[in-house]
Amino acid sequence: MERNTFSYKLKQFMMFAGPASILFFGTVLVPFVYGFYLTFTSWDGISKVKPFVGLENYTAAMQDSAYWAAIGRTAIYSLFAVILVNALAFFLAYFVTSGIKGQNFFRAGFFIPNLIGGIVLGYVWKFVFNRAFVAVAQAITGGTVPSLLSTTGGAMFCLILVSVWQYAGYMMLIYVAGFMAVSNDLKEAALIDGCTPSQAMQNVTIPLMRSSFVQCLFLSITRCFVVYDVNLSLTNGEPFNSSVMAAMHVYNQAFTYKNYGLGQAEAVILFVICAVIGVTQVYIGKKGEVDA
Amino acid sequence: MKKHSRVLAAALALALTAGVLAGCGSSDTPAAGGGSSSGGTAITIFNSKMEIQEQMEAMAEKYSQEKGVDVEVYYSSDTVAAHLATKYASNDPYTISMVDAKDVYSLAAEHALDLSGEDWVKDTTQAISVDGKVYGFPVCIEARGIIYNADAIKNITGKDFDPSTCKTLDGFKALIQELIDGGMEAPTGVMKEDWSLAAHYLAEVYEEQPDVDAFITSLHEGNADLANNDRFNSLMDTFDVLKDNSYSKASAISAEREVTEQKLAEGEIAFMFGGNWDWSVINAYDYSENMGMMPVPQNTDDGMNEKLVGGGSKYFFIDSSDNTSDEQKQAAKDFLNWLVYDEAGQSFIVEDCALVPAYSNITLDVKDPLGASVKKYTDDGALIPNYNYFPDDHYSICGAAFQKYLANQTDRAGFAGEIEAYWKGITPVEH
Repeated sequence: MERNTFSYKLKQFMMFAGPASILFFGTVLVPFVYGFYLTFTSWDGISKVKPFVGLENYTAAMQDSAYWAAIGRTAIYSLFAVILVNALAFFLAYFVTSGIKGQNFFRAGFFIPNLIGGIVLGYVWKFVFNRAFVAVAQAITGGTVPSLLSTTGGAMFCLILVSVWQYAGYMMLIYVAGFMAVSNDLKEAALIDGCTPSQAMQNVTIPLMRSSFVQCLFLSITRCFVVYDVNLSLTNGEPFNSSVMAAMHVYNQAFTYKNYGLGQAEAVILFVICAVIGVTQVYIGKKGEVDA
Repeated sequence: MKKHSRVLAAALALALTAGVLAGCGSSDTPAAGGGSSSGGTAITIFNSKMEIQEQMEAMAEKYSQEKGVDVEVYYSSDTVAAHLATKYASNDPYTISMVDAKDVYSLAAEHALDLSGEDWVKDTTQAISVDGKVYGFPVCIEARGIIYNADAIKNITGKDFDPSTCKTLDGFKALIQELIDGGMEAPTGVMKEDWSLAAHYLAEVYEEQPDVDAFITSLHEGNADLANNDRFNSLMDTFDVLKDNSYSKASAISAEREVTEQKLAEGEIAFMFGGNWDWSVINAYDYSENMGMMPVPQNTDDGMNEKLVGGGSKYFFIDSSDNTSDEQKQAAKDFLNWLVYDEAGQSFIVEDCALVPAYSNITLDVKDPLGASVKKYTDDGALIPNYNYFPDDHYSICGAAFQKYLANQTDRAGFAGEIEAYWKGITPVEH
């Protein structure tokens, strides 16, 4: 059979990548373009008419102080969550590749939180924060202790804590792969040349794992920026709408407050912010990558 | 071998695709409607009252068998507007949709069938009309007030509880003090949910004004002085009593609705602001027999402390688009008539679903005690009507402000200021 013809290549492509491409086109590209069009209308989400209003929604989004407060909150949340997730994941990966007893068991254990869906996880932790922690704290202090979730700072703290708990195991797997990819010869050579173990880690292992860092940072930043499920089930924006993240604000704006066009415009702005941060980070990260 | 693995790969790819596709459609839970092969008309009903979903499904099955009309009932945990938006976007509307009053106003003109000619219109005072045409069929009546546990009160005072002694705030305070002295540490509970605080309690501040529309307009124009408004202060005085005697006083914002209602049901607390829909939560616990609802106590003599606030809640409308055939529209109308005039339909609303009927021709007794209270006030004409024209973000933004007040993070003047600021920035709902 001639393997160089267009039809052969097309057939091969359609066979392997066809289903995924069609799904990607239908569920991502088309809605994206159509959604972009909707940002220029004042559609309420259900009416038959979609009046064209030009850039009005973008001006309104710029003036929506609750939206920018939510973005700012999301940035703070992401900053803490990303740093903690990656620090913890790196440490865990080091721990489970150092050859301790039962390390496969630990790997599985740390990864499991990631297998629980965000909604379930949020409800489980809500119970822990509202009941278990409160009961323990009251037993210790003897007085009534308000739940962490009922204070503005506390709710943020809870969100960060739960996200770290959820994502650290997943990022750990990527770091584990990174550790395993660094050849032992190089580490040994460094040790023989007189490096202390921590110098070897800093000057040999970590630079060679740079691609793992780039990947983990990218994944954790983009995930944190569009966090919704944990936000919904753990705090639902409470107390006093002080834990409404960007994605939740967008959802409320579009569906609950029925300003679909405005909500969609805010979603597009969120997408642009996410994309700029993600691409910049990958660009900077990739630039300094080294090979052994 | 090679051939096998190719087949296997194709099968896997197919399976994955199917999985993704199945995932797309799994947000609705189709109910067990009647056998869909009967060949007759088929109608779909969207139910937005989660607590009656099981009853709806059972009713649909029976109705399908008896009337030869296939009825399928769907439920979604999304907000009504969000869910219907997706259905309309995909040109696949329900024949009958159960929505909240405000949704009828926003949807009726474009999507609802004119029901002005139906028989039931004359038997209810709660139907919703827009521009002189009736669009909304009231499913039931719901009202708000203070829920009390009479058994818990009697256990301490030794006397049968008479709600009329608690009409005024002074009377209410005296009883609370008596309960505390008798050993009930915290006689009240407060729900911290924004819909309860803003859409239900704060709403009474507007609804009990002499002219609600004028008051809302003055708020919007910035002329209303909420902090010095008598009604606002009167209701907030009562709220302070509820708040200061609440079992969750120290952590009001993390109080869970279920816990509060369980305490009320079991008599650990005696009062809570709520509505007859709370029965669906209360009856999950070991509840006391003698419970009921009374108006929010206020030191006033204008009669507002003798009425519950409420009216029609949840409305059916029939889709008017070409996606619904004339046969389906007729079958939907028949179904609504069945609910009002057929004994089976009446008993479905009142007995199976434990709802308070919105139709004067239905005389069945309401079984649950809260519903019975509401029925009594309805029959006496003692209901202050709901105000149905709040902007969609009212409950959320004003609810957040109210939560701050509940958590003692702002005082009454600050709270009033936030409400005033909210109203100045809105687009009023036209009606």
